[in-house]
Amino acid sequence: MIELNGLTKKFSNGKGIFDVTFSIPKGEVFGFLGPNGAGKSTTIRHLMGFMKPSKGSALINGMDTWKDAAKIQEKIGYLPGEISFLDGMDGMAFLKLVGGMRGMKHTNYRDELIHRLQFDVKTPIRKMSKGMKQKVGIVAAFMHEPEVIILDEPTSGLDPLMQRIFIEIVMEQKEKGTTFLMSSHSFSEIERTCDRAAIIKDGKIVVVENIHDLQQKQRRLFDVTFASAEEAKLIKQSKLDVISVTENRAEIAVQGDYNQFIQALGDYQIRTIDIHEQNLEEVFLNYYDREANRS
Amino acid sequence: MNITLYAKMLKVHAKSISSYAIGSALYLLLIIGIYPSIADAPGLNELMESMPESFLAAFGMEGGFQHVSDFIAGEYYGLLYVVILSIFCLMTASQLMARHIDRGSMAYILATPNSRKKIAFTQALVLITGLLIIGLTTALAGVIGTEILIEDKPFEAMTFMNVNLVGILLFFVISGYSFLFSCLLNDERQALGLSGLLTIVFYGMDLVGKMSDQLDWMVHLSLFSTFRPVEIARGSVDVWPTATFLFLLGTVLYAVAILIFSKRDLPL
Ligand SMILES: Nc1ncnc2c1ncn2[C@@H]1O[C@H](COP(=O)(O)OP(=O)(O)O)[C@@H](O)[C@H]1O
Ligand SMILES: [Mg+2]
Repeated sequence: MIELNGLTKKFSNGKGIFDVTFSIPKGEVFGFLGPNGAGKSTTIRHLMGFMKPSKGSALINGMDTWKDAAKIQEKIGYLPGEISFLDGMDGMAFLKLVGGMRGMKHTNYRDELIHRLQFDVKTPIRKMSKGMKQKVGIVAAFMHEPEVIILDEPTSGLDPLMQRIFIEIVMEQKEKGTTFLMSSHSFSEIERTCDRAAIIKDGKIVVVENIHDLQQKQRRLFDVTFASAEEAKLIKQSKLDVISVTENRAEIAVQGDYNQFIQALGDYQIRTIDIHEQNLEEVFLNYYDREANRS
Repeated sequence: MNITLYAKMLKVHAKSISSYAIGSALYLLLIIGIYPSIADAPGLNELMESMPESFLAAFGMEGGFQHVSDFIAGEYYGLLYVVILSIFCLMTASQLMARHIDRGSMAYILATPNSRKKIAFTQALVLITGLLIIGLTTALAGVIGTEILIEDKPFEAMTFMNVNLVGILLFFVISGYSFLFSCLLNDERQALGLSGLLTIVFYGMDLVGKMSDQLDWMVHLSLFSTFRPVEIARGSVDVWPTATFLFLLGTVLYAVAILIFSKRDLPL
């Protein structure tokens, strides 16, 4: 459904995206992961036909995204990374404008989405909070039930409850065979919904893999607090990857084998276990750097 | 053209279009309203004679005023009309394209099955519609105002309409290059600044060229040399060559603007 062949865009400052290649079959939810500035939005702008590639091409449903940009939009729903609407109107007027420009006939699904995301469509756009704008943007991307939905950092600005409702909506559309491309800078945001993901860094694709394999490779850090400092010292002798010990607390890294982690800790008196929030670099990119160094 | 976009954009800009139209019409009525008191004042033509010739020439007032239409042309179309319509064209042009590119809202407009040419054409049409509404309201106010406010004074309706025709076409060109900058640039203020600068340079060259004998070549490089309201009002020039030239130039500018927008990278 979506196909990128050596897509390259070099900006005058030397930044950009280089030889980006992957394809997304119909009905798949595909995650596009990368730290800030990696080139996610630039890649997506090519898919939307906003930019002309320096080299390579992007196809959606077999059509070139630059040359056939207008035609392709019939099948696409899009949520931009930076939300900025036209001013001088309220949420409903905006949705009606976009719907009207699409020649959209049915508004049932639009109204259902508005109801589920719980926001007041009569609020003037310039008075909306970031989260509320995000909701309007999500409705605009989904309301015509397109075949392909492209979302640039969709969950930024949504509170946890809304994130859950958003995931529900994505899953329902997935059931209907909709193809998704979703960018994010955080693995946890996409792991619940995506089948596969690509990781991009400095404009280059590092890996394209399915979510389960990525989850296996994901390295998580746990802060374990023991009943005594002696126990914390003792854990160092186990097979676990103990990063550091301070008094009765140990920092332990786990990659893939959670059973081993739990069994090893079973012999100790544990007060608390906390999971360390890690950014994408720490979760994956270090892994791939190590892989690259080994070979 | 996309009707939905056109209607919505016209609605968004309706307030500014109507205030410029009403403002322009009221100013014109004010000028017409003071005509009788000035025309009957015995000292006026003497006063005008006492002023330096070059100063009068700069504002197209040499030779005094014989008709209401001359007077209106000199007093209103010579300066205020130009200022009001310039501000409208520059502001609106930069808001219709560059602002949406700048802020990213263009992404939503383009994420619909409408080609970029169609979108730009629709936005251009909004600008031209606004210009026509303001221009025609002003012309109508002139015709009706002189009818009501002035008795037994010669008013050349035909030449007055010619002043309006050339005026509107001049601003068709000015809005054309403003729209071009708006399509070309990613920054709203840059688009506004450049088109404003160009307009001021044109106007300044026209003014300086008219006042100075050594610098009169400047007049010919200025767009404003096509618009001599007092001469047109007196019926002393044939407006059709000028009108045709302005119409073609404006059309080319808009066409180039739309083409550029359809081909360029957008940082949305
Ligand atoms: N129009 C542009 N001109 C020059 N550099 C750009 C342009 N757009 C993006 N970049 C640069 O390209 C890199 C990738 O940006 P982007 O695709 O927005 O990253 P992401 O969405 O992954 O955060 C960044 O370093 C950014 O500064
Ligand atoms: Mg981005």
